[in-house]
Amino acid sequence: MTGNDLKSFTDKNQWLLSPTARALGALIIVFAMGLIFNADGAFLKWGTHRDMLRAVSVYGILACGMTIVIITGGIDLSVGSILALSAVSFSLMAIHFAMNPILAIIICLLIGTACGCSSGLLIGKYSVQPFIATLAMMVFGRGLAKWVSGGQKISTAVQQADGTYQYVEVPKVFDFVNSKVFADNITVVTLILIVCLVISWVLLTKLRQGRYIYAIGGNEEAARLSGVPVLSSKILTYGLSGLFCGIAGICQACQELQGDPEAGVAYELSAIAMVVIGGTSLKGGRGGIWLTLIGILTIGYLEKILSINAVGEDKRLMLTGAIIIAAVLLQKTRK
Amino acid sequence: MKKLLFTILVVSLASLVCVVGCSRKTPASDADSPVKYKIGMSQCNLGEPWRVQMNADVKNAAEEYSEIEVIFKDAQNDTLKQRSHMEEFISAGVDIIIISPKESVPLVPIISQAYKNGIPVIILDRKIIGDDYTCFIGADNIEIGKAAGKWIAANLQGKGKVIELKGLMTTIAGQDRNSGFRQGIKDSDIEIIFEADMKWLEPNARKEMESALSRFEKIDLVYAHNDPGAHGAYLAAKAAGREKEIKFVGIDGLPQEGQIYVKQGVLAATFEYPTGGREAIEAALKLLAGQEVPKKITLPSKIYTPENIDQGGQHLK
Repeated sequence: MTGNDLKSFTDKNQWLLSPTARALGALIIVFAMGLIFNADGAFLKWGTHRDMLRAVSVYGILACGMTIVIITGGIDLSVGSILALSAVSFSLMAIHFAMNPILAIIICLLIGTACGCSSGLLIGKYSVQPFIATLAMMVFGRGLAKWVSGGQKISTAVQQADGTYQYVEVPKVFDFVNSKVFADNITVVTLILIVCLVISWVLLTKLRQGRYIYAIGGNEEAARLSGVPVLSSKILTYGLSGLFCGIAGICQACQELQGDPEAGVAYELSAIAMVVIGGTSLKGGRGGIWLTLIGILTIGYLEKILSINAVGEDKRLMLTGAIIIAAVLLQKTRK
Repeated sequence: MKKLLFTILVVSLASLVCVVGCSRKTPASDADSPVKYKIGMSQCNLGEPWRVQMNADVKNAAEEYSEIEVIFKDAQNDTLKQRSHMEEFISAGVDIIIISPKESVPLVPIISQAYKNGIPVIILDRKIIGDDYTCFIGADNIEIGKAAGKWIAANLQGKGKVIELKGLMTTIAGQDRNSGFRQGIKDSDIEIIFEADMKWLEPNARKEMESALSRFEKIDLVYAHNDPGAHGAYLAAKAAGREKEIKFVGIDGLPQEGQIYVKQGVLAATFEYPTGGREAIEAALKLLAGQEVPKKITLPSKIYTPENIDQGGQHLK
C-alpha cells in the first residue's frame, strides 16, 4: 500500500485514526501474538486471562491515578513508595495490632491521600515542578515505609519479647481480597481495579472538576484566567492519586499476605508506561481512562504471554521495550 | 507565605534532630563505659531481609560482650557509598572492619589499603579478588544448591516434573543455586519443565507460577532460589486449589520467613543460608585477643523440614 492509498483508506475510515482505535491496534497485535504463541493451549484458557487481570490489577489501580495526574500535565513518581507505606501500615494494623479491618483500611487510605495532597500542595501552592515534588515524596515515602516497619517485612510471623517468632493467623480481610468470586472467574483485586476505573471515569467525564483537570493540562494560565481553581484541583488530583496508591497498597499486602517495605519499587514506571501506551499525552490536556485500560491490558497480556512461554529475562526486557515503542509510534501516525 | 515556609523548615529540621537524637540512645560515649574496641560494620544493602538478619546477628552477638562496640553503616546497594564507609572507618581508626561487600572487584583497593594499614578486615558472604584481607566467612551456594537437588531427587524417588524459579541469573547467588541444583539432580530422572527469573521477589514468583499452572496439568515440586519465591509459588497454587499436590522447596531459612513457612506446612523444606554474623564477632574477638583465625571459614548449612523444625533443623553433611 502506498502512502496515497493509505491516505484514501484512512480518509474513508476516520474512526481508524481515533485515539481509541490506535491504542486498540497495539492490544490486538499483542493478543494475536498470544493466540499464535499459546503455550500448548494455555493462552486459550480463561484461567490464564483471570490470572493476568489479577497480576495487572495493582499496577492498573496506580495507573488510574497516574492518568488523572498526567492529564493535568504533571507526573507522579511517588506511587510505588506510597503503595509500600500503605502495605506495611495495613499489615501492621491488621496483623500485628489485630485492628478492625475497616478502620485499618480507612487509616491507610487517609495516609495515602495525605501523602498525595502534600505533593499537590507543593506543586500547586509553591510551584515546585511535579517531577521534583513527587521525586521527593518517593524518597521520603520509602524512608517512612522502612521506618514504620523497622526495615523488616510485616508478616504473620510476629517477633516475641524473647526474640523468637510466633505465627499468627492471617486476618480474614486478607483472604477476602485475595480470593476469587463469581464461580472463581474473577479476582476481588480486579473488581477493585474496575471500581477505581469507574471512579476516575466519572470524575473525568461527568463532573465539573474533570473539565478543570483537562483545562489545566491544556493551558494552565488560560485556565487560571478563566476562573478554574487551579490550586484545589491540583491538590485533588494528587490526593486522588495518593488515595489510589493507598488502595493498591492494601491489595498488594493482601496478595502477599505481608507488608513489604521494598514493595512497589519501579511500579511508577509501569504505571506511566500503561498510561502512555493507551495514548494519554504526557504534555497534558488529552487522554482518558478507557485508553489507560487498553494500556493496562496491553502490558498485562504482553507480560503474560512472555511468562507462559517461559521467555528469558533478557528477551523479555527487549520485547517490552520494542512493544512500548511500537505502541507509541502507532499513536503518532498522522493522516 | 515566607513565614509559613520558615515554619515548615524549622519543624522539619526539629523533627530530623529528634529522629537522629532518638536513634542514638546507647550511652557509648560515657567516660566510664567499658568499651575498649570499636568495630566498623559495612553492610551493602539493608533492603534485603537476609541482610537485615545478618546485621541483627552481628548486633546480638556483640551485645554479649561489653568491651566491643559496633558501628553499623548501610551502603544502600551502592559500591561507592561502601567505599566511603571504608574510608570513614580507616580515618576513624576502628580496631576491626567487618564488610559484606556489594561487589568482588571494585572494593579491592580500599579493603587492601585498610588491611595494609594494620586494620584486620573480615569479609562476610561475598568473596573479593586477591588475598588482602584477614578472614572470609561465608556459606557455599553451590553446595546448598547441590544438597537441595539431592534432597529433591530423593524426595521424589528420583523422578518427577519440577519447576525452577530462579533468583536473578545475573547474580552469583542465582547462578550458584542454579548450577548446584543441576549437579544435584544430574543422576536422577527429574525433569525441569518450566524455569523463570523471579528476581528474588514474591509477587513475580506468584505471576510466573500462575503461568506454569495454566500450562501444566501435573507439577510435582517447585524449587525456588529463595523462600519468598517459594511462598509466592505456593500462593499461586493455593489460589488454583492445587497446593496439596505440589511440594515447595526454598532457600535461606530465616527464622521469620522460611522456618515459619515450614512450620505452617507451606514449604516441604528450606535450606538455611547462614548469615555468619555471629561467627564474624567471634572471629573479631579472637583477633582482638591476639589469636590467629583461619583465612577462610565456610559456614555449615542446615535443612529445615516439618519433621526436624522443632529440633532446630539438621546440619547438612
